[in-house]
Amino acid sequence: MPYHEFDCSKCIPERKMHAVTKGAGEDLTSCLPLGYLNTIPGTISERGCAYCGAKHVIGTPMKDVLHVSHGPVGCTYDTWQTKRYISDNDNFQLKYTFATDVKEKHIVFGAEKMLKENILEAFDAFPHIKRMTIYQTCATALIGDDINAIAGEVMEERPDVDIFVCNSPGFGGPSQSGGHHKINIAWLNQKVGTVEPEITSDYVINYVGEYNIQGDQEVMLDFFKRMGIQVLSTFTGNGKYDDLRAMHRAHLNVLECARSAEYICDELRVRYGIPRLDIDGFGFKALGDSLRKIGLFFGIEDRAEAIIAEETARWQPELDWYKERLMGKRVCLWPGGSKLWHWAHAIQAEMGVNVVSVYTKFGHQGDMEKGVSRCGEGALAIDDPNELEGQEALRNLRPDVIFTGKRPGEVAKKMRVPYLNAHAYHNGPYKGFEGWVRFARDIYNAVYSPMHQLSALDISQDAIPGDTGFMTRRMLSDATLPEAVRNDPSMRPYTGAFDPIAAIRAKTDYPEFPRRSAIEAAE
Amino acid sequence: MAGKEKNVARANYPKLYTSDPLAEVEPELRAKIGEMENYIMKNCLWQFNSRGWDRRTQNAGILGKTAQLLAGEEVETPTPMEKCHWVDAVMLAREFRERCAWLAGMSGDEIRAVIGKLHARIDWLTIDGSLNQELTVQNY
Ligand code: SF4
Repeated sequence: MPYHEFDCSKCIPERKMHAVTKGAGEDLTSCLPLGYLNTIPGTISERGCAYCGAKHVIGTPMKDVLHVSHGPVGCTYDTWQTKRYISDNDNFQLKYTFATDVKEKHIVFGAEKMLKENILEAFDAFPHIKRMTIYQTCATALIGDDINAIAGEVMEERPDVDIFVCNSPGFGGPSQSGGHHKINIAWLNQKVGTVEPEITSDYVINYVGEYNIQGDQEVMLDFFKRMGIQVLSTFTGNGKYDDLRAMHRAHLNVLECARSAEYICDELRVRYGIPRLDIDGFGFKALGDSLRKIGLFFGIEDRAEAIIAEETARWQPELDWYKERLMGKRVCLWPGGSKLWHWAHAIQAEMGVNVVSVYTKFGHQGDMEKGVSRCGEGALAIDDPNELEGQEALRNLRPDVIFTGKRPGEVAKKMRVPYLNAHAYHNGPYKGFEGWVRFARDIYNAVYSPMHQLSALDISQDAIPGDTGFMTRRMLSDATLPEAVRNDPSMRPYTGAFDPIAAIRAKTDYPEFPRRSAIEAAE
Repeated sequence: MAGKEKNVARANYPKLYTSDPLAEVEPELRAKIGEMENYIMKNCLWQFNSRGWDRRTQNAGILGKTAQLLAGEEVETPTPMEKCHWVDAVMLAREFRERCAWLAGMSGDEIRAVIGKLHARIDWLTIDGSLNQELTVQNY
């Protein structure tokens, strides 16, 4: 087994089995790190807690809901507004967050009474919102507060409201991934099947494991609408609470982030017979194939092909422009869980970069199987790294850019490695054909940022060139490009809008496809 | 408790291979299967469902249907689940036809034999030889 031992972690021997280097001839039967295990004492993990995984990742993107943390205000603060899962109702769920603000006296005397007061107060403060989620935290779980009982009381007193309770305290798993699991199953058990939806199409899907980061969901919904597909619910980005109660009526579950949401898809398959189709919304080929697969399932592949042809013609010249300039750039792909496999192959094949390392904070071995398969020889794969290991890897690998979260991202910046936010994006959306070009543009801007060149100079000892002008990205990126490529008229840099989501939201001219029943009746 | 018993049974799915089933295959054929394997491992997700028994069903369903499609046989899809397998099989068969020109000269039996070997290899990589310790977890 090609384990990689970090110098800085020699004193924590258990860490050795959490990193591997993919050598020549290695495959998954010889090269896979351990994963999804409790963090080893002595290593400062970058993981989140199970409450955070449930609330921050999956619960809160639901848009028409009061999201309440039952616990100290610190838990709430740490799960508020740090992800850009926008929504088309003026970002209600990003603007407002609620906490019961549990204090020492509640730990001693119980916090159920004040929880009820808080619930009523929140509903009274926002009378147009009738749905609520409540999250257990460590403190209230340990004192045994029965949130379900209180929620039940409130729902009895106010029949127009509906409350979902998520029992996933911080200690409920090795990482945030434990919380993803708990909220998937809790939602299915408590809420799915409690609302009957109106079916308006012959082709009905749930779009699962999609969180509308900077508008990703809205981009994908645009494609689905152009294909005449009804999206019953999105789990959970820009999703509506009551739509998600009707998930049991879909014909197909289209699964994007299997890491956070495969559980509900798998259970919907077992309990309701709805099949699971895994897709990749990132990358021209993967996205095109995903649309084709959904089209094939419903017998409407021609509609997918029309979209792919139109979008490729519009955006391929721009992707190619960046590919020429990103060729061979060394990338550390260090996201949380699923992007290591969503992106590893697509950015190499379509942007020409070289992924020298993948890591995951909370992924399971299944994510590493996908990630290790999709990167090339020599790549270093790390599970649940600590900060010192991250720094050691950056020093050894010398990447041109790193895609990661904002905490390790800031560390990387101080080591003069440009960083892109893999969770919340820089200038997303990154899904869709245009989104993929926006991602390429962000990578280009990061790699060739003149600021990074300047930041490498140490003003206490380096000679500061005073006689040269400021470099531009273009001067840096095109310096070594052959003339023919530099001036190739078939390629161009990004020409899309600053905010592509506004146009999608304003769109009304979706094609109307007659229902099969109507066609049959006519015949 | 019937549900629980079923879960135990499915977690204890039988092992099919104890070593790489393609270890003895002659190099030329091994290289051909390698092209297919590489495409699947870099581009597909269906072989990576979270549990071993589930992977077994996925691999058999999709690669079985891929062989049928490549051999020009009719493929039946009586259940939504099988339709899903067929979708991934259609995509795979198209890629293989495009990337593996050598398939064109093969008979139906030869194609079925090659995909059978590919199936064994994918089962080995993702199930029987896999280092993933979560494959035998009973619940999702
Ligand atoms: S670990 Fe517990 S106390 Fe800390 S943020 Fe998570 S729920 Fe709150």
